Amino acid sequence: MFSGFFRLRREVAWWQGLLFALGCLLTVLGVWWLATHGEPEQRLLSPTVLPSPHETFATFPELWFDRALTRNTLASLRRVALGFGLATAVGVPLGILCGCFPFLRAFFAPVSIFGRNIPVAALIPLTFSLFGIGELQKIMFIFIACVAFILSDSARAIAEVHDRYIDTAYTLGAARRQVILKVLVPLAFPSIFNSLRLLFGLAFGYIMLAELVKFGGESGGLGDIIITSQRRGPKEHILLVLIIIPIVALAIDRGLFWIQRELFPHRYGGSGILNRAVHVLLVGWERFKFLLVKPTPVAAIRQPTPSQEKAS
Amino acid sequence: MTQGTPTPTPQPVDPDAGPIGVSRVIDHPPIPAKLAGPPVVEFRNVTKTYNAGRPNAHTAIRDVSFVVQDIKDVGEFVCVLGPSGCGKSTVLRLIAGLEPQHPATTGEVQVLGRPVTGAGADRGMVFQDYTSFDHRTVLDNVTFGLECRGVSRKDRHDLGRQWIQRVGLNVDVDQYKYPHELSGGMRQRVAIARTLILRPRIILMDEPFGALDPHTRMNMQDLLVTLWREVEATVFFVTHSIEEAVYLGDRVYIMSNSPGTLLREMEVEPANRPSRQMQREPRFQETVAYIRDLISELEESRAAE
Ligand SMILES: Nc1ncnc2c1ncn2[C@@H]1O[C@H](COP(=O)(O)OP(=O)(O)OP(=O)(O)O)[C@@H](O)[C@H]1O
Ligand SMILES: [Mg+2]
Repeated sequence: MFSGFFRLRREVAWWQGLLFALGCLLTVLGVWWLATHGEPEQRLLSPTVLPSPHETFATFPELWFDRALTRNTLASLRRVALGFGLATAVGVPLGILCGCFPFLRAFFAPVSIFGRNIPVAALIPLTFSLFGIGELQKIMFIFIACVAFILSDSARAIAEVHDRYIDTAYTLGAARRQVILKVLVPLAFPSIFNSLRLLFGLAFGYIMLAELVKFGGESGGLGDIIITSQRRGPKEHILLVLIIIPIVALAIDRGLFWIQRELFPHRYGGSGILNRAVHVLLVGWERFKFLLVKPTPVAAIRQPTPSQEKAS
Repeated sequence: MTQGTPTPTPQPVDPDAGPIGVSRVIDHPPIPAKLAGPPVVEFRNVTKTYNAGRPNAHTAIRDVSFVVQDIKDVGEFVCVLGPSGCGKSTVLRLIAGLEPQHPATTGEVQVLGRPVTGAGADRGMVFQDYTSFDHRTVLDNVTFGLECRGVSRKDRHDLGRQWIQRVGLNVDVDQYKYPHELSGGMRQRVAIARTLILRPRIILMDEPFGALDPHTRMNMQDLLVTLWREVEATVFFVTHSIEEAVYLGDRVYIMSNSPGTLLREMEVEPANRPSRQMQREPRFQETVAYIRDLISELEESRAAE
């Protein structure tokens, strides 16, 4: 009956996949329950090591209301969003330029090698002395941790666009700026976006690190809940936050993936709603562009005159 | 080119060479001084060495010289044949001004009397690989060149639709499709449309039908002949198919191997009847056989080395 599942690389239906995943969750929950059930003295693991599932979930209302779970989650997200947004704003354009011009890539190579190979935790002390112990330090920590990855991924995405597209654009009369803006960037953008999505997950992991290391005070954020619960209890909250983090991360990832599919239907097979929205914006921009640039009359192309040929 | 038009400029003919089927061998190069305007394309002792000065230096073509005259308002269809690796693509890309083939190591490449300095829309190119821009619809692919020139959206889309029609695609159905929704033949139609819409004086085609099945290929050949008459350009067409070269070409260049040189230049009757019909004629087949023998001789002499 189950022999079908052992055919090599056999795909499973979505509901079967869901069932298997649920099976995994139930197994973990079962082991957890087995290890922690019964009276506190008779348990395999004492309550100080691991509280039981029931005890853990019973403290959820307290976490939600008294410790302001939503506000703290949003505080963490805000830091990641700001730090990551800044890293994107700097890293993507620079990466695109590096991909277009290898001499720039060579110039930034030390930065990107350093940034990608340094263990980010080692940067925390430095960020404290540079940016203080406030909000800025956490945002800049995320920025520093991500920007090198974003830069080199963007540069690689541009470099991976096949030369034949550049050749084609040039033989169709595109100028260098047009090749970059109309060919290289749009063709590389799906993979740039994809790597941004994956890196965002990484950044979300780093913010915990930044929030766990702190000098006194309530700085807020999910990491802060963990460290405070570790010191003052209840320990159940640590477990709850550990469950909540991947759920939030998954939700964000799925959201970004939806955007990605809708932006690039030709690459990821979405229905293209966002792609059309961007298209409408571009058309709108072209409507008003004539105020700045005079359009070429089409007749100039249909009957080429010798003087025009020489110009090209 | 209309049927029966005499060759505009008389060419010095090798006295020994009689007609071979639908073709005859001609001397090259004709003397440029006797021509009216500057030639469309002129190669003067062009040599291209890749990685010059390095241990992996490789001379792809050596001392290639030829002249293609400007036949006013008609243009000429030049097919380039030769064994694989003899430098056909190199010649084409030198004309196009594309790196790394451009610039030539020695010698001079001139287009319309001026040295080639880089790529431009006056020399359109159709590649063997599918090079439609994946993020653009068929219509936006076809009008890419016009967009780069700053033609307004409405004008370029009107013209773009005409050309989509002209290359035999269905405007209503196909214009908003993305390249990944098209077959290989349809993609090459798009590539032809977006090149011809710019009315280039020179069209460079590097095995454009190489990846198509024989049936689609013949249809595309007939389409190309029709369109080419409309746009009045000089076409350089690289192919591995001798039939294709003899059918399409007014002139066939045969290149030899390593390093590539121009071995023979032939004049062929223009393609004034459908591909299927012309290819059945015995005279046509005689020419094909002649060229096939020539090329296999070349391949053998290379293998003997
Ligand atoms: N960018 C390059 N760098 C180094 N060598 C090259 C390069 N491009 C081509 N060559 C070499 O130059 C020679 C001629 O290449 P080319 O592509 O012009 O041949 P071709 O006649 O078009 O061959 P084919 O019919 O297989 O397309 C080949 O031996 C090839 O290995
Ligand atoms: Mg080639």
